[in-house]
Formats: sequence, C-alpha cells, structure tokens
Amino acid sequence: MLGYIRLELARVLRDVTFLLFGIAMPVVMYLIFTSAGLAPGAEREAALFAMVSMAAYGGMGAAFNNGSGLAEDKAHGWLRQLRLTPLAPTAIVAGKTITGMVVVVPAIAAILAAGALVHHVTLGPGQWVAIIALLWAGTIPFTLLGLGNGYRLSGQAAGLVNFASSVALAVTGGLWLPAQLFPGWLQEISRWTPTFNYADLSWHVAFGQAPSARSALILLGWLAVFGAYALYGYRRAGRRA
Amino acid sequence: MDMTANAVSLAGVTKSFGAVRAVDGLDLDIPQGQTVALLGPNGAGKSTTISVLLGLTAPDTGHVQVFDRPPAAAVRAGRLGAMPQEGGLIPRVTVGELLGFVAGTYATPLPVQEVLAMARLTGLARRRADRLSGGQAQRVRFALALAGDPDLLILDEPTAALDVEARREFWDGMRRFAARGKTILFSTHYLEEADEHADRIVVLDRGRVVADGGSREIKRLAALTTVGLTVTGDTSWLAGLPGVTAVEIRGRRAKLRSTDSDATVMALAQAGAVRDLEVAPADLEDAFIALTGRHAAVGASPPDSPTRTAPFTTTMPAAGTAGEESAA
Repeated sequence: MLGYIRLELARVLRDVTFLLFGIAMPVVMYLIFTSAGLAPGAEREAALFAMVSMAAYGGMGAAFNNGSGLAEDKAHGWLRQLRLTPLAPTAIVAGKTITGMVVVVPAIAAILAAGALVHHVTLGPGQWVAIIALLWAGTIPFTLLGLGNGYRLSGQAAGLVNFASSVALAVTGGLWLPAQLFPGWLQEISRWTPTFNYADLSWHVAFGQAPSARSALILLGWLAVFGAYALYGYRRAGRRA
Repeated sequence: MDMTANAVSLAGVTKSFGAVRAVDGLDLDIPQGQTVALLGPNGAGKSTTISVLLGLTAPDTGHVQVFDRPPAAAVRAGRLGAMPQEGGLIPRVTVGELLGFVAGTYATPLPVQEVLAMARLTGLARRRADRLSGGQAQRVRFALALAGDPDLLILDEPTAALDVEARREFWDGMRRFAARGKTILFSTHYLEEADEHADRIVVLDRGRVVADGGSREIKRLAALTTVGLTVTGDTSWLAGLPGVTAVEIRGRRAKLRSTDSDATVMALAQAGAVRDLEVAPADLEDAFIALTGRHAAVGASPPDSPTRTAPFTTTMPAAGTAGEESAA
C-alpha cells in the first residue's frame, strides 16, 4: 500500500493547477466573506469564526476534488489496472484516502495563514495545534464521500455531484452562513450534517471550549457510512472501468 | 502448491449483455505451461472470456477457476498478470515509477531492469507514461503484465496496435517469458499469429469453443487457398479436381477451396478452363468453416443472396498486415 500512496502522491503533487486551485479558491472566498462585513464590535470573533468555517470549507473542497480526480483515472483505465494487481480494494481506497489527507493540507493551511496574517486572528499555541489537527482529520469522511462518487459515477457526473455535495454540505452545515441564523427546522437538520459537526469541533476549540463528544460521534458515524460507500463504489468501478 | 496441472478451468460459462449472449456455454481447460491462442473474429467472445478469467466480469452461469481458485482470489494472490486491450497508463508518472509500483504489489516480482529488458523498454524508464508512441505504450502495458512475474499471463489482443517490427519484438519478449515455464493465454484475430506463437489454438465463435487443436491443424488451414474462376455450363466436375475440398458457385463465378492450389490450377489449365483466374489465401471465414465442419452450400445459388450464413464480420487479413481495431 505504501507504494500506491507514493505513486498517487507523486501524481497529485505534480498537478500544479489542481494544487493552486485548491488553495486559491477557499482563500479568495474567505477574504471576500470577511471583507464584505464583519459585525461591528465583534470583528475578532467574526474573523475567527469565519476562518474556521472557511478552513473547513477549503479542506472539504480539496477532499472532494481528490475524488473528482478519479475521472482521469477512469479515462485512462487506471482503476482496471489497479484491480489486476494483487492490491486489496480496502488498501486501494485507504491509499487514496491518505492521498486525500495530504491534498487538504495546503487549503487548510492557507486559510489559517490568511486569518492570522490578514485579520490578525490570535490563538494560543495549543488552540492552533488542536484546530489544525481537527480540521485535518475531519476531512476524512468527505474524502471518502468524494471517492465514492468518483468511483461510482462517470467522470463528468462525479465532478458535478462532488461540487454540488460540497456546496450543499457547506450551506446546510453553516459554513457560509452561521447555523444560528437558520430557521429552527433547518438548524435541526444542520446539527446532524457532517459539515456542521466537523467545523463545530474546531469552533469550540477556537472559542476556548472543549470539542463536543456529540459532534465527534456524529462525524465518526458519517465516516463509517462514507467509508462503506467508497469501498462499495470501488468494488463496482473496477469491473467495467 | 497446486496439485492439479490446470492453470485455467472454465466449465459451462455463459455471459449475456442484454440480449447478446457473449459467452455461451464455454468449456476450456489450460494446463500449466501452455501457450494458448484464443482465436476468433470480433464479437466471438474473446474479450468477455478474458474479462471473466480476470475476475472483472462475473459469469451468469458456470464455473471459473484460475489455479484452483476464483479469478479474483488468483489475482489477489499474485498468480496472474494481464494486459488489457488498452489503458493503464496515467499522466504525471514515469514508466519506471509505474513499473516499480506494479511490481511492488506482488510478493516475488521480477527486477524492474529485467522487465524493462524483456519488454524492450531499456532507456525509457524515465519517460512520462502518457508521452509514449503507440508501440512504446503497448510495450509498457506488456511490461506491467510481466512485472509481478505471474504464473499466468493473459493478453487481450496484444499486437492490435503494433506495426510489423513492433510485433516481432513483442513476440520475442513473450517467448522469453514463456520459456520460464509460464502459462500464457492471448487472444488474436490473426490466424498466423496464433499459428506461430501458440502451442494450442482455441477457436471461439459466438461464445463457444468451435475448435481446439495444435498448430499443425491450423497450419493446414492457413495453407488453404481459394481459387476463383469464371465458368459456364456444367460445374459438377470442379469438385473432383485435385486439392479441392469445397465448391461454391455464384452466378458464373466458381470459388474452389483448395488444400493444394498448384495442383488445382494445373488441372484447370489442362482442362482449358482458366478464365479470370484468381488465387487468394483463404480468409478467416473459410478457415472457420473448414475447421468447424460447418459446410458451405455447394452448388448453384441466387447471385445476390449469400450462400453462407456464417456470422463472421471480420475477414482474415493477408498474413501479418495490420488489421482493424477490435472492439469486442
């Protein structure tokens, strides 16, 4: 599996446009969101909240893009080639997930850097470490969902569905507009989304609270669901790809 | 280790795609160490059979075993290497990286340098895998199939995209691999390729094995010739000419299938019957008919209706020339 990770990483790190786009998109969005209007009197809180939201959005977007990249693999018959090697499906999905964990790093790091440099967000060292770790590890369910779509759907459809998924999850999870502004019924839905719970872990840390166990458990639940989905998608994909 | 000698065992395998029965009750055993050609026109079921053997397609019915296990398990155990008709070469990696990766997924791979040499790729290891000529790409895909040093190598129309020179190099590489005691199954629609490179030739037609024999038998077929001429009046005597095995009349045109065209032509000349003479190698259709014993109608038939109902759409090209892409 190490060989597979090495190969996939080499491919993704040589894809300069993919990396730049993955970084630039969320940073630009963060700067637009935060320059349009930070609530007067609570600029620091708003900048901090938005930084976490956008870092979560950027990390999630990069995670999905990793799955959309499977379109290229399919077009080149790469999934079939993989299937003809002795590598187990679980090893392949795990390898691709680990690749995904690497490609989300620049996006998350860029937004946290923008928060610190542009909006002078200040946090304790322990808070920074915890937020980085949570934002990073929390992308895994989204990577798996993106992979599942990538394996299961045709190239173009996978890209569209992944984009739609990331937007829908960002909106319902309160990454663009805080969920507190939602009507009651939507807030209730939001509290069960993977995105809300993903970002909520870091929002808690950012505002000096311990992350909630409820959020962690719900995110783990989504991890299991999306993991099974990705594996199912791969098993089907290699056959006719 | 395996107690039986079969690398491949197919029994009663069927596979349909919608209304099309691609494989229709296929039985085939391949002992270890054999090089077998799967010969048939497009649509005969070669690719589906291979796909079933690789565990990529589940058969509707029947049993499939590769080294006494289900195909997917044999793949997982590293017993199998395969070269699909296309694909497998991805952008942004080098040939060396790709080979190293595939080799690394097997327990006892060949050294990458050896694979490069066997596939005539030495010097191309640092080239990007998506920037190769057609022949080079084909050799890389062959190398990927070899890299793990599998016991069974399955090649789906391996020479389809190659020119004559590249073809010869390809078969050189394959022979060197076979010499290591490996079992090889390759599909082709070139009679000559099957004849030259296989110990055994399995002829598929409409998803079934219609003939299964050694190279000698196929040589006899490859030597088949068609002698065409214009005739008038009685034609019954043509069937009695030396070498002639079958006669087909369409209007004023007679088509004689002959195992000895020299003798046939000589006899025609002596009878003073040489008119618009044409001597051509038998096409695959003729070879199949001879091989399967499905006989063409002998005798007169309406000029515009085909005398044969054989389903073949591909004809055997002149030996060794590049043929059409297969799309089975």
